[in-house]
Amino acid sequence: MKKITELIKEKRVYFDGGTGTVLQGMGLPPGQSPELWNITSPEKIISLHNMYFDAGANIVKTNTFGVNRQKFDNYEELIAAGIKCARTAAQGRENAFVAFDMGSTGQLLEPLGSLAFEDAVSIFADNVKVAAKCGADLILIETMNDSYETKAAVLAAKENSDLPIFVTNVYDASGKLMTGADPAAMIAMLEGLRVDALGMNCSLGPDIMLKIIGEFRKYSSLPVIVNPNAGLPEVREGKTVYNIGAEEFSDYMLRIANEGGTILGGCCGTTPEFIRKTVEKTKDISYCLPTEKNYTCVSSYTHAVFVDDDPILIGERINPTGKSKLKEALRTKNLNYILNEAIRQSDAGVHILDVNVGLPEINETEMMTECVKAIQSVTDLPLQIDTTNFETLEKGMRVYNGKPLVNSVNGTEESMKNVLPAVKKYGGGLIALTIDEKGIPDTAQGRADIAAKIIARAKEYGVSKKEIIVDPLALTISSNPESAIVTLESVKLIRQLGVKTSLGISNISFGLPQRDIITSTFYANALQNGLNCAIMNPFSLAMMNVYHAYRALNMLDTGCSDYIRYASSNAENVQKTNNSAGAETLHAAVVKGLKELAVQKVGELLVNTEPLEVINNHIIPALNEIGTAFEQKKAYLPQLLMSADAASAAFEVVKQSIPTGQSDSSKAIVLATVKGDIHDIGKNIVKVLMESYGFTVYDLGRDVPPETVRDCAVQHKCKLVGLSALMTTTVPSMAETIKLLNETDRNIKIMVGGAVLNQEYADMIGADYYGADAMDSVRYAEKFYS
Amino acid sequence: MRNSDVLLITAEAEDVCINRNEMERRLGVEKNYNDELIELEKKRLMSLLSYRCAYIRTDIDLRKENVVDFGFMLAESRNLYKNLKGCNEAFVFALTCGIAVDRELAKMKICSQAEFFVLDALASAAADSFCDYAAKKIQGKISCVPRFSPGYGDLSLTLQKPLLDRLDAQWLLGISLSPSFLMTPMKSITAIMGIKNEKNN
Repeated sequence: MKKITELIKEKRVYFDGGTGTVLQGMGLPPGQSPELWNITSPEKIISLHNMYFDAGANIVKTNTFGVNRQKFDNYEELIAAGIKCARTAAQGRENAFVAFDMGSTGQLLEPLGSLAFEDAVSIFADNVKVAAKCGADLILIETMNDSYETKAAVLAAKENSDLPIFVTNVYDASGKLMTGADPAAMIAMLEGLRVDALGMNCSLGPDIMLKIIGEFRKYSSLPVIVNPNAGLPEVREGKTVYNIGAEEFSDYMLRIANEGGTILGGCCGTTPEFIRKTVEKTKDISYCLPTEKNYTCVSSYTHAVFVDDDPILIGERINPTGKSKLKEALRTKNLNYILNEAIRQSDAGVHILDVNVGLPEINETEMMTECVKAIQSVTDLPLQIDTTNFETLEKGMRVYNGKPLVNSVNGTEESMKNVLPAVKKYGGGLIALTIDEKGIPDTAQGRADIAAKIIARAKEYGVSKKEIIVDPLALTISSNPESAIVTLESVKLIRQLGVKTSLGISNISFGLPQRDIITSTFYANALQNGLNCAIMNPFSLAMMNVYHAYRALNMLDTGCSDYIRYASSNAENVQKTNNSAGAETLHAAVVKGLKELAVQKVGELLVNTEPLEVINNHIIPALNEIGTAFEQKKAYLPQLLMSADAASAAFEVVKQSIPTGQSDSSKAIVLATVKGDIHDIGKNIVKVLMESYGFTVYDLGRDVPPETVRDCAVQHKCKLVGLSALMTTTVPSMAETIKLLNETDRNIKIMVGGAVLNQEYADMIGADYYGADAMDSVRYAEKFYS
Repeated sequence: MRNSDVLLITAEAEDVCINRNEMERRLGVEKNYNDELIELEKKRLMSLLSYRCAYIRTDIDLRKENVVDFGFMLAESRNLYKNLKGCNEAFVFALTCGIAVDRELAKMKICSQAEFFVLDALASAAADSFCDYAAKKIQGKISCVPRFSPGYGDLSLTLQKPLLDRLDAQWLLGISLSPSFLMTPMKSITAIMGIKNEKNN
């Protein structure tokens, strides 16, 4: 018998339809796990598969969708029995295949959810090992509504078997996964991971999938699987039924086949009848595989970014070279600083963010994986993983949610043999630097030759030319006068090789005054010579001006609409700065909650005023004023928090002027929302106010176990702890935390707050203080340390 | 694979009118208070909301004192038992505002606590308002007792698991549960709404 991967190249093959629908017809009660029948009623499962094979399906899905080690202790037995049932039905049939069906773990992955990425890989890996041993023909990863979990499942399949991998995701009517990815993003990631076929299943009927199939036809080079539901469920005469019948379903499937659907089948609500009719109507229409697409693209968990004629901006700010604040943030693991840089660049309009965290004194690999995950929790831009450390690169690519841009490979043997296999395994756009063992060639031709060498080697490793973006390396003209000319010539030559180009633009002006003038002019020249990507500073007005003007001038900005928006937002910003001139002091800026102005004013004050005086005579009195207004109900929480934001920003500036050892770090508090409670808004408000008053806050977040609170207080020798709870059901958890703290150290004072608490409750559970609101808590903490 | 009796309700952001009182209560502001920040966050929220609700109608058994048997889960709760007293059936539902709200809140938490607070409060009000909207659609002309949720009174949060599983909430709504039974997306609600045992139902 042919392999499934060979067969799909020759003819249309068909999946089976719904499993649950048929089994519930055989008497499976709603809410009961159908997988148990693999062991208790295998004859019914075999009969289900037989019905589908008889209807014309080539591939049946094993009855193992919900099985994993977390849900079933006997997962191995359930999988083995499930595969045995399908194998039994396939026995003696031609072109009949068994797909090991692997569904979601049911948990959302970190950072939004609680399941760690490697834990998800491990859960899937355990399933795959059993499936490979028991004789499945392929692995079907299906009904996945999250790209990250999909990646975990694919990696588990690749790393634990040689079986072909098919993947289908759940899209909604707007053509996106529930966690945000569109088909282009999923295709980019899955093709990068080298799956064998991809597509969509569940949630939608064939009518809606017909509207989405065009996206797959446009972007996919792989066979496209379409397994729709029988429409949507609705209530008819007191019964829940799907609203599309077999006849109508198969009519849509015919249209889907004509629009690019390669492998067809069904999902919820479909029965053997649906598959029979679909096979009948589509088996004789001409069959062609999707064409090989030639896009250069990378992706995030929401969208793909295509590198083509429209210039791509790669934000360079998360790279410690020459940035003392970022270096400090990396050393102290101040992720907030890094995340802020990510958000600011994203708001400034870049398409991709460069992430380089290489410092000799830190563990680069750990920091990279942590940063990749954290940055992906606050921005949906694709990331460029930038490192010279191969281990860091591999680990960064692994935890990345999507298809990353990799910076970089170069023409040295060592680099190519380490980087190319990683790109083959995880998928990625690849920046290729024109440098090799002999250094950077002086001539454009020399650089183009290295590019050609890398392209050829990449091909040997199975990395296509379309993935490669060549960076011919701009060196500063201050020490290499010919650098700009050679680099521009290189860009032109390299584009003729049929690959895209990138440059670290800012390097060109290193060592010169007023660098923006040189850098932005060079950027304009480079664009004119065919540059695709620029690693650049998006906060440079000159650079952004060039970018927007170039797009408008080269018909890349229809109706100049992006340019007009850009120009008017610049004008608006100038206007805003002028308007806030009414608040002339730091005090007024804090009271009015004007963050930028507060930062400006504190800078002016610090010229002639001692840092501690700025805090005690300007920031604190301003906060007290708005705090009192809040207590008297003359101001509300949003205003109080705006002021706290402004004060915190000002405080940060002051802190940098305080010589080490002088800051009042003894004023500290541990804050936590207790275990079982998700509501942390109250705690967060207290945190902001505490910080704006200069407290060091150890914020443990929400849903915090008592032991974690104790450990933190002990570790930092902190004698003040604030606990918050919002639900009545979590007050016992608060009492437990207090008890543990009291047992540990009677000197630790505990204040509590939250919607369900009052003085009486607080006394009952043994708290030292009940904070009625955020200001009240601050006043207590101030008193505690006075 | 899913339970074939689960029904779905979806709504666009503008379909659901966010309850003003709820909003003001959560923001802690006086009646009809408004400012630039609140307006800005309202606009932001509207672009993030993706309302989805899944529900079933199911028999309930109250024969054992202080225990409600749903067939697929047992709830030991004096408060819920009292709430459902006299009902033979209930609607069980779960709903969410979608994961985009969580992502934006994570971002706001880094940039601005004021914006975070306001967006969080507005999103909570939106979830409550969608809950009213969905409950109205679900019950139609059927009269129901006030709805009840895990975490209220003595009704354990651990019930979230069987309830969400029964509704196929992970696939239909994208709701997942942490080991301590908290839902992601954060602005999600589960509820039980007893059907009044009257002849016209």
